[in-house]
Amino acid sequence: MEQFFTQLTNGLAVGGIYALIALGYTMVYGVLKLINFAHGDLFTIGAYLGLTLLASLAITDHVGATAGLLVLAVMVMGLVGVIGILLDRVAYKPLRTSPRLSAVVSALGASIVFSNTIMLVFGPGRKVYPQGLLPTHVLSVFGLPVPVMRIAILVTSLVLMIGLYLFIQKTRTGTAIRAAAIDQDAARLMGINVDRVIMLVFFIGPALGGAAGLMVGLHYGQINFTMGWIYGLKAFTAAILGGIGNIPGAMVGGLLLGVIESMGAAYISNAWKDAIAFFVLILILIVRPTGLLGERVAEKI
Amino acid sequence: MRKILLMLIALSLAFAGPAFSGETIRIGLMCPLTGSWASEGRDMRQIVELLAGQVNEQGGLLGKQVEIIVADDGGDPRTAALAAQRLAARNIVGVIGTYGSSITEASQNIYAATNTLQIANGSTSVRLTEKGLPYFFRTCPRDDEQGRVAVETMLERGYKKIAILHDSTTYARGLADEARGLLSGKNVQIVFFDALTPGEQDYTTILTQIRRNEPDVVFFTGYYPEAAMLLRQKLEMGLEVPFIGGDATNNPDLVKIAGTRAAKGFLFLSPPVPQDLPSPEAKNFLKAYTDQYGQAPGSIWAVLAGDGFRVLAEAIRETGTTDTATLAAYLKNDLQAFPGLTGMIDFDDKGDRIGDVYRVYEVDGEGNFILQM
Repeated sequence: MEQFFTQLTNGLAVGGIYALIALGYTMVYGVLKLINFAHGDLFTIGAYLGLTLLASLAITDHVGATAGLLVLAVMVMGLVGVIGILLDRVAYKPLRTSPRLSAVVSALGASIVFSNTIMLVFGPGRKVYPQGLLPTHVLSVFGLPVPVMRIAILVTSLVLMIGLYLFIQKTRTGTAIRAAAIDQDAARLMGINVDRVIMLVFFIGPALGGAAGLMVGLHYGQINFTMGWIYGLKAFTAAILGGIGNIPGAMVGGLLLGVIESMGAAYISNAWKDAIAFFVLILILIVRPTGLLGERVAEKI
Repeated sequence: MRKILLMLIALSLAFAGPAFSGETIRIGLMCPLTGSWASEGRDMRQIVELLAGQVNEQGGLLGKQVEIIVADDGGDPRTAALAAQRLAARNIVGVIGTYGSSITEASQNIYAATNTLQIANGSTSVRLTEKGLPYFFRTCPRDDEQGRVAVETMLERGYKKIAILHDSTTYARGLADEARGLLSGKNVQIVFFDALTPGEQDYTTILTQIRRNEPDVVFFTGYYPEAAMLLRQKLEMGLEVPFIGGDATNNPDLVKIAGTRAAKGFLFLSPPVPQDLPSPEAKNFLKAYTDQYGQAPGSIWAVLAGDGFRVLAEAIRETGTTDTATLAAYLKNDLQAFPGLTGMIDFDDKGDRIGDVYRVYEVDGEGNFILQM
């Protein structure tokens, strides 16, 4: 039983990160029906920007670790969000009226450009975050050892996701985003500035991806320019699992994928971890082709 | 504009085609300049270029200058196959490299098909030289030797319950199987045998599994980036089991990624690093390298690429030819006790290096690799 709960916390921490990245895929898909393959690289950019800012500004020395990391997170999210908007302007906006395939090819191209740019700017080697910024002690939850950072990662992811959910559901801007997701032309006729909605979507999604990148860097300590590939693939899987275009779906899909992976590794075989995760994906898609929460096709995002 | 175009055409002609390449002796170097092992590849390139520069200062080989042609294998089998095709098409005498066994394996047959001599530097998987390829050599020892030393070390230290962890690559899987085979008749229990997925960030799931099986020691046969993450997360989880690594964990990046606190006490197997070798070749090389690049070479594998270059240069010098069959015959039959940067070098009929012994190293509190007696 102890084994089960430990693996559950392991899976939830990884799943929280998958979920944050999956939100970026799902939001863009919801509004534009476009799979933004460059999203994994925006996540990598977040990790690298976090390291650069941390090293060059030394914020944590001035205002203390907690406040410093908050400021850092806001800066990284803002910058990656701006890069996301630029990505849309350069790679996707000119193709808005083209067939969908052109935009997908453009997305793949953007992904290659991003990962190679990161490699050329920061070098091909692994980079290491400074140590000792985060608390390393281990909490005892019902007698089980749980590192406090595992909980912090999960809580941070959940707070960001719930914040986004409330924003989409409760505010006027959120309503505009939902409207644009259902029918862009009708939304335009209702006086919604669809271009601004798309810009906002390309800000929020990448910003969350950037936050995930920063968390991975801070917690796991080492980053490399190819890491966006694996995380991007897993997050994309999570988005499909939960029903792409659906925000609660991305959250559920991410957490579920993390847990399936760790349970598969724990009770079947670690070497078969990915195969098990994808097998479950196939099973779910056979039973529910729209994903777990994908039934509300009329109201995606 | 037309002038510039003409100049460009003239330049491209000058660098193209075998017709113009009679001026230099071309030696290929295939190494991972990008990807997870980029720091290995950078050192390989620096060392081979440094040694080629030294040869050229002394008049080159057969009266010609040596030209090193570098191709990036990206630490990836698919990239390596393309790199091998590019190199093989450029009229090279032989190729040095590469580091990972799966990567070398992907390129072996391409070089064999074009009769290109290949001297790998870090690929220790047993099967690479069991295929009977006539022009394949390696300057590193083999995993059966490494497995033997690993098992001996674990038995000597009195470990009874052993966990073995690999990463499904040609090399790591081979070494893990080797160790498991050697342990089977002994009075020990293998409580865990599984693989992780390289390139991931979170290995707590597998560490939790290991903890549950309560081993006395974990033998990890994979590469340094994953070893470093395991050590780091092991400390975070408060898991105290000692780790022994295979020779692919011998890289200073291990300590950089894991941090000195997590890396302290980590044991690994490796051929001796040049710093621990007393020969004049090793000393001179270390000095030249440090003068040129400001620090000692990172790991033994890049230095073994240097030895690959040196034996190839020696073979060309002694036989007076660049014919692949003659060079290969010379390396197998006539090269004896060649003073390499990493000790004496002899090759057997399979192209394996003979007479080298693995040593055990321990990481100390400052992150230095200390040779154990």
